[in-house]
Amino acid sequence: MRNFLAFIRRFRVLLLFVLLQGLALSMYFTFLTFPRSQYMTTASYISGHAFEFTNNITQYLHLKKNNTALQKENVRLRSKLPQNLLQLDREYITINDTLHRIQYEYLPARVINSTHSKRNNYFTIDIGSSQRVERGMGVISSKGVIGVIQNVSENFAVVRTCLTEKVRIAAMIESTGEHGFIDWKGENSKYGTLSGISNDSKIKKWDAVVTRGSAGMFPQGIPIGKIVSSIIIEGKPLWDITLLFAENFRTVQRVYVVKNQLSREQAQLEAHHQSTNTQ
Amino acid sequence: MNLTVKNIVRFVLFFVLQVLVLNQIEIGTGAQIMIYPLFIFLLPVELNVIFLMAIGFALGICIDAMSNTYGLHASSLLTMAYLRPAIFRIFAPRDGYDALLETNLYTMGSKWFVKTFGILLLVHHFWFFMLEMFKLNEVLYVFQKTGLSALISFLISVFLQFLFLRKPKRNEA
Repeated sequence: MRNFLAFIRRFRVLLLFVLLQGLALSMYFTFLTFPRSQYMTTASYISGHAFEFTNNITQYLHLKKNNTALQKENVRLRSKLPQNLLQLDREYITINDTLHRIQYEYLPARVINSTHSKRNNYFTIDIGSSQRVERGMGVISSKGVIGVIQNVSENFAVVRTCLTEKVRIAAMIESTGEHGFIDWKGENSKYGTLSGISNDSKIKKWDAVVTRGSAGMFPQGIPIGKIVSSIIIEGKPLWDITLLFAENFRTVQRVYVVKNQLSREQAQLEAHHQSTNTQ
Repeated sequence: MNLTVKNIVRFVLFFVLQVLVLNQIEIGTGAQIMIYPLFIFLLPVELNVIFLMAIGFALGICIDAMSNTYGLHASSLLTMAYLRPAIFRIFAPRDGYDALLETNLYTMGSKWFVKTFGILLLVHHFWFFMLEMFKLNEVLYVFQKTGLSALISFLISVFLQFLFLRKPKRNEA
C-alpha cells in the first residue's frame, strides 16, 4: 500500500494528465458520434443566449444579401399562387382539395452562431423543442439544403451542416435519378462531394443534385448543388463527384426546419420491415 | 492588483475574446485564430503544474462548450499546460526565473519568448488540428492548417502584449 501511494505521489502529474486527457478525448469522440446531451453544446441555455445577444449585434452585416435572397424566393413562390395563373378550363373548380394533404411543414429560424472553416461545422438556431423541433429533422434555406438537427434544447438547436464529415444526406442527380450521399472533404466551404454513384452512368457538368427524400428528412427535389467535376475512384466502380453547394454557408442567416408529418409512420414501417426480415 | 484577481479577470477576458470575437473570424484555408494559450503561458512560473493543468482544462472546457468541439480545446490546452514546465526548464535563463516577474515578452526578451511560446503554440495547434481531422492521409493539410494558424495566433498574441502590458521600469545604476 505504501509503495502504491509512493507510486501515485511520484507520477501524480503524469497520472492527472492522462486522466484529464482521457476525459477530454472520450468526451470528444463520444459526442462526435452520439450526441446525447445539450449541455456541452451551443444549444445550452447560457451559450444559446450569449450567441443570440451577439447575433443581434452582428446580423446586420449580411442583411442586404439575405434580403435579396428572400425576395427572390418570394418572387418564385408568388408566381405559383393560383391568382396569378390563367384558368384554362372553367368547368371544374376544386375548392376542397382532398387529393393532397400537407406532408411537410416549415418552421422559420434564425442562425445565431455558425462556423465554416473547421472540420465539422455546426450552426446554432434560435428555435428548439418548445417550437416542436426534434433531432433528425432537416434544415433548408431559401437556396438549398443546410443540414440536419443534431441537438435540441428548450429554445435552441444545433444543426449539423453539410460542412461536416459524414453528414450523409441522401441525394440524387436530378436528370438521371442516380442516388448517393453527400459528404464534405473539409477544405473548401463551397464544394462538397457526392459519393456512391456507379461509374457506368454518364455525368454531365452543371447537372443539379437534389435531395432524394428517402429518409423523410427533406421533401424530394430540394437543391443541394451542381456538379462541377467527376473523377473515377481508382479500384472502385464509382465516381468521385465534386459539387458546388447551392447555398453559401458563410452568409446564410434565415433557415427553415423541415417537419415531416409522416416521418413517424415511415420510421415505424421501416423498423417493422427490418424486424420481420431478420426473423 | 492582487495576482489571483488579475488572473481571474484575464481568464474571463481571454474566454470572451476567443469565443465571441475570434471564433467568429474565419480567414479561409482552414486557419483558425486561437490566443487563449497565451493565458496559460502568462501564469506565474512557480505555479504547480497540477494547478496549471487544472486551469488549462477548465478554460478549454469553457471554450468547448461555446464552439461545439466537445473537449477538443480542453485536450490541446491540457497538453500545452503539461509541457510548459519542461519547455521553461530547457530555455531557463542562466540565473533562473525571477519569481516576481511575469514571463511575458518584455520581461524575458523577445528571443526567449519566440522560442518558448512558439514551441508551445505549435504543439497546441498541432494537437488540436490532428485530433480535429483524425486522418493520417490528410496529414499535409494538418501541417498547413497548423503552420498558418500558429503564425497568425502568434502575431496576435504578440500584438495583445504590446497593447495591454506595460514595459517594466528599469532602475539602472
